[in-house]
Amino acid sequence: MELLKTILYILLYPGLIYCVIGGLILSGIDRKLLARMQKRIGPPILQPFYDFFKLLGKETIVPRNAAKKAFLAAPVIGLISLITVSLFIPVFKFSPFSTYADLIVVIYLLTIPAVALIVGGSASGSPYAGVGISREMVAIISYELPMVVSLLAIAKKVGLALNNGVMTFSLAQIVEYQAQNGPLFTKISIIPAFIAMLLVIPCKVGSLPFDIAEAEIEICEGPLVEYSGAPLAIFKLNHAIKMLVMTSLFVTLFLSGAGTGILVVDALIQFILIIIVMFFSITLLKAITARLRVEQTLKFYWTYPTALAFLSLILVYFGL
Amino acid sequence: MTQHLPILSIISLFIGAFIVALIKEKNEMLRNTIVLIATFLSFVFTIMMYRPIILEGNILTYWMGNWEPIKDWAIGIGLEVDQLSLFFGLFISLSIVLSALYSFRYIERETGKDKYYVLFLMMSASVMGFIFTGDLFNMYVMIEIMTFASVALTAFRNDRPEAVEAGFKYIAIGSIGSSLILLATVIIYAQFHTLNLAQLAGELYNNYTAITIFALALMIVGYAVKVFAVPTHFVAPDAYMVAPSSISMLFSGIVNKAAVYGILRIIYVVYQSMNLSSMQFLLVFWGTVTMFIGVTMALAQHDFKRLLAFHSISQIGYVLTGIGLTTALGITGGLYHALNHTLFKGLLFLCAGAVFYATGTTDLDKLGGLAKRMPQTTLIFLIGAFSISGIPPFNGFVSKWIIYQASYEAGYAPVTIIALIVSVMTLASFIKVAQSAFFGQLPKEFKNVEEVPLSMRIPMWIMAILCIVGGIVPSTVTKYLITPAANAVMNSAKYVEVMMGKEFASKFYSNLGSAPVIDYKLAGYWQPIAWLILFGILLLAFTLVAVLGGFNPKKFSYADEEDAKYDVFFSGESAEFSHVGGSDLFWGLKYQFRHYFDFMHKIHSGLVNDYALSVVLTAAVILLYVFTFVR
Repeated sequence: MELLKTILYILLYPGLIYCVIGGLILSGIDRKLLARMQKRIGPPILQPFYDFFKLLGKETIVPRNAAKKAFLAAPVIGLISLITVSLFIPVFKFSPFSTYADLIVVIYLLTIPAVALIVGGSASGSPYAGVGISREMVAIISYELPMVVSLLAIAKKVGLALNNGVMTFSLAQIVEYQAQNGPLFTKISIIPAFIAMLLVIPCKVGSLPFDIAEAEIEICEGPLVEYSGAPLAIFKLNHAIKMLVMTSLFVTLFLSGAGTGILVVDALIQFILIIIVMFFSITLLKAITARLRVEQTLKFYWTYPTALAFLSLILVYFGL
Repeated sequence: MTQHLPILSIISLFIGAFIVALIKEKNEMLRNTIVLIATFLSFVFTIMMYRPIILEGNILTYWMGNWEPIKDWAIGIGLEVDQLSLFFGLFISLSIVLSALYSFRYIERETGKDKYYVLFLMMSASVMGFIFTGDLFNMYVMIEIMTFASVALTAFRNDRPEAVEAGFKYIAIGSIGSSLILLATVIIYAQFHTLNLAQLAGELYNNYTAITIFALALMIVGYAVKVFAVPTHFVAPDAYMVAPSSISMLFSGIVNKAAVYGILRIIYVVYQSMNLSSMQFLLVFWGTVTMFIGVTMALAQHDFKRLLAFHSISQIGYVLTGIGLTTALGITGGLYHALNHTLFKGLLFLCAGAVFYATGTTDLDKLGGLAKRMPQTTLIFLIGAFSISGIPPFNGFVSKWIIYQASYEAGYAPVTIIALIVSVMTLASFIKVAQSAFFGQLPKEFKNVEEVPLSMRIPMWIMAILCIVGGIVPSTVTKYLITPAANAVMNSAKYVEVMMGKEFASKFYSNLGSAPVIDYKLAGYWQPIAWLILFGILLLAFTLVAVLGGFNPKKFSYADEEDAKYDVFFSGESAEFSHVGGSDLFWGLKYQFRHYFDFMHKIHSGLVNDYALSVVLTAAVILLYVFTFVR
């Protein structure tokens, strides 16, 4: 019975099926909302599904210059890592593998899809991909600093309350703290980190104004330029799931709590919160901004969000 | 038999060196066999010590010529192998064997091979002697042999002017370091009339005078020069770059580690200064600066081996930070990272060697597309690169993660942040190597390169597998290797007791026999096996769906025909100039930090005078610091 349950978690919720369907629906909602903001009608919400299945049916071309195995394996590795990460993120108090859920580990596992994109692009042998992966790497360096500082602030804040002052990276404990004291974003010391993390999400999922790596009109989607057919479909799916996982992690970190205890209701609330977070951090920014250059991205992240995150860390140390 | 093992593991390498010197160039087969036997015997003897020392918790002592101490005075030279020494000994002797195996084909086209092997064995033997000895002067002698063998090996390819230049720089800077260590040894001997480490540890226990602190400061600077901590690191990139790769691997894998061992032994066991917060701060600060400057310099390099050399400096920064924290978790992380660094950095240097063997260059601006011609080397390189960048589930992640936790717990939040950022920058610079050397466009002149021979691939594969194992079963590695070593670091009373007798030790230590209990659970919740099982199940599910859905890689169209659709997309650009790699990558980063990089470029002037000056200045600063704060 336990085994069956575990397999259900892995394959159904919050694993494979949920990630694929949830991610694609989220992506559809994003496109629809964006279109409405730009006074367009926009595609139907199920459009990402149609795109996905259409790409699956197309011919897959492997370029002559490519390193074949790395080129084909990269999207699959990225997809599976993302789904695995999704298993570790608690949905309110429900978490199938909570004993292993560690903040730093989750953050590092989330770099694997980015690395898969980089390796795949690099293996295609295209100069556009070369530019793309270089930009992707600079983007990673950019957002890593504010993200790390914000997370340390949370770890210290929760540790002070629950762990006799020793910091904790356990996601289960972060949820536990919020169940006792209300969501973390209501705490004065965490509000700057909350804003900083909200700004980190668009860069992490690669949406405007920080989509420097895939800039379609400059470098033809960078790392994806040589991809076609099924591998491209999987990379597009990765993009959608990355959006779901990042926003879900954000909800767990800042907006979580005790929940209702009924899994279906909790999952629904989580998804609604995810849509709200996505609206503010991804869709709204996408609608009102234009793309930054790569060095501007770096400068932006290492100044304002980093300053906010450090402010948060200092406030936590002062016990606010 | 058991008590002779320490000396056997050292002497077998020395004897090998002498026999190889006698054979000269006469019989290549015989010479290679002797090298292999000597290194392998040393490895076996070290392994045989595992059971009595780490499993049963004994400490082996061996008095040369049976000169045992009389009335608490140690006159003869003693070897003393505790868990810390053996921990270092195990992975050092393993990398010696692997390097020897790799060397046979790697240097087959060079001249003066007999001299190479003599120096190789001398260097290995001196490192083994250094970590197994229980005598301060013997440590100096061994580090002197080590330095001179290293210098000669750096200049081994003496048909290249930069090799001779690097050898010269190394001998100048290395001699300054050795002189400082010698000076400190002399001062200590004049003060206490003994050179035995255990006896000194007893005498120095809670006995800090101006003169002993002076010696301590000199020791720290001397070993920092050997460990290439910033700002004494300038000579390292030159030396690592021009030395043969099998030797560069030993430089970063064993010579550097010997110096780390020296710092641990001197500061923690002999001086027992781990409870001094000033000492703690010094090492943590130094380590953090070292890791940051090392990695930023690595980002700017365009030579494969030079880049690796700067990473070597940067990773040693992690080790210094870890052991500097002096908490049980910190020392565990530092020692774990020392082990991991030997594995993945050795692996990466061997990859660089393989690239050099196949193509004759390590310049990233000239390389490209080797993945098609050398698939195994590429895979091994990727394993090494992911390990050093700390990507789970490889070993680098585990040790770095322990260091993050330890530093944040100890209240060094800025150190944690810098360590995390340095880890990402490490990833960035290895992405650069992957893109520039292994992926991208294959230049015309490398159309016919071939995969390296099997005897070179075997050592690489062994290290790659160890990298993965170290990442998947971290708790086992910790339990059977790291924790005993960390315990030995924190329990110098036992070291004194075993060597000099209970009577002597009880004069100084009140808490005899009771080792301080290391009270940590391997902090955190990371179970790599759980992650891997999940990953496996998902992969299975994915494959199932893919097969049912008709998603079949065999149906993909590969470039078996001359069709333009298999070319990569250039949009009219001329193909020759469009390969992006080498020094062109990461423009955005370099642009934003151009002032920093300009400054760094100015500092790395290439003049040995400047480098010597920086060592002397470091010595002055450390002396000042130690005299002001260490009590």
